[in-house]
Amino acid sequence: MRNRLTYSILGLLLALAFTPLMFGQTAEKSDAAKTPTSTAEPNLSGVWNARPPANAKLPDLIAYFSSFGKAEPAMTPWAEATYKAAKPSFGPNSVTMEETNDPVYKCFPPGVPRVYLHPFPLQIIQIPGQVVMLFEYDHMVRHIFTDGREHPKDLDPTWMGNSIGRWEGDTLVVDTIGFNDKTWLDRVGHPHSDQLHVVERIRRTAQDTLQVDLNIEDPKAYTKPITSTMYFQLNPKWDIMEQVCMDNVSFLNFEKNEDVPAK
Amino acid sequence: MKTRTLAIAALAVRFLTISVPLFAHHGTASYDTSKTVTVKGTVTDLQFTNPHVLLFLDVKDDKGNVQKWQGELTSPNHLERAGWTRTSLKPGDQITISGFPTKSGANSMFVSKVLQADGTPLNAGLGN
Repeated sequence: MRNRLTYSILGLLLALAFTPLMFGQTAEKSDAAKTPTSTAEPNLSGVWNARPPANAKLPDLIAYFSSFGKAEPAMTPWAEATYKAAKPSFGPNSVTMEETNDPVYKCFPPGVPRVYLHPFPLQIIQIPGQVVMLFEYDHMVRHIFTDGREHPKDLDPTWMGNSIGRWEGDTLVVDTIGFNDKTWLDRVGHPHSDQLHVVERIRRTAQDTLQVDLNIEDPKAYTKPITSTMYFQLNPKWDIMEQVCMDNVSFLNFEKNEDVPAK
Repeated sequence: MKTRTLAIAALAVRFLTISVPLFAHHGTASYDTSKTVTVKGTVTDLQFTNPHVLLFLDVKDDKGNVQKWQGELTSPNHLERAGWTRTSLKPGDQITISGFPTKSGANSMFVSKVLQADGTPLNAGLGN
């Protein structure tokens, strides 16, 4: 018991000792791979941008940013009916911007893992006890708690879910539950319920490459898990910029007008 | 000056080989992706704001009449990463733009290529 206490204190001191170094590191934007946040934790820090497969043709490029998995997911009757009723702006059931009922165009959060499909960079910031993902897209944030906690017993459903992470070697395994049912799973209109359970395995396969393996389960919507892999490119010179979804609202109102405005 | 021109040309080549879906913001339904349209004209306005940069041109048709054209580009965030600023194009600039025309037939396109008066390209930001 005394040994465990000693180790806990040592661990805490180590984590605190590295904190000033780590913040300095992030501010200087120097080579993130060389300075871990603790002696054991791999470093995923940096500004990352989704990178589609090289030489992909336009339909595959569009698919990479539209939905997850290579094939149509195995839907339950509830999901089929909900999918048919959706009016997305991407995919085989797509409609025009005037007709779409995709909630993101009213600036509701995209949810997880859909946020990965919106083509803006994300910044990963690691501090003791959590990995923070800051998305340029409408300044969405995910806190992935790595301090060993479990999901809260009585979770309030949220748009982006409740995420906990643990390290398995070089891989951050993220478990996310506690979603509300107000988001779409992807951009082509596939639904999900509040039983959505997303597991991500995130690791740095090269200094400038992040691989995210997704496992999506939702017993109310899908009879089999949906799996997918996305790749992200490190961009050491980039900063996360502002992107405000509400700018879409005035933009889309303008698009309804056929006339080009006189200026 | 020559170095900068080369840099812009190099960026344009890079954009041609590494591309992100042109319609990654809001889908393909409004534009006819099977066609390309090209117009040459004079910039009248550049609205360099999110979610999409809008470019307005006066284009002379064969009869000499001025047609008003609109070009939609990607987010200013992507364009800035490709080297643009809000004054990269100014009213009076002579440019040529190419892209996918709207299905409605209006004088509007989703821009994939911008050429300045001297023929040098401006990266349309689609690799970012």
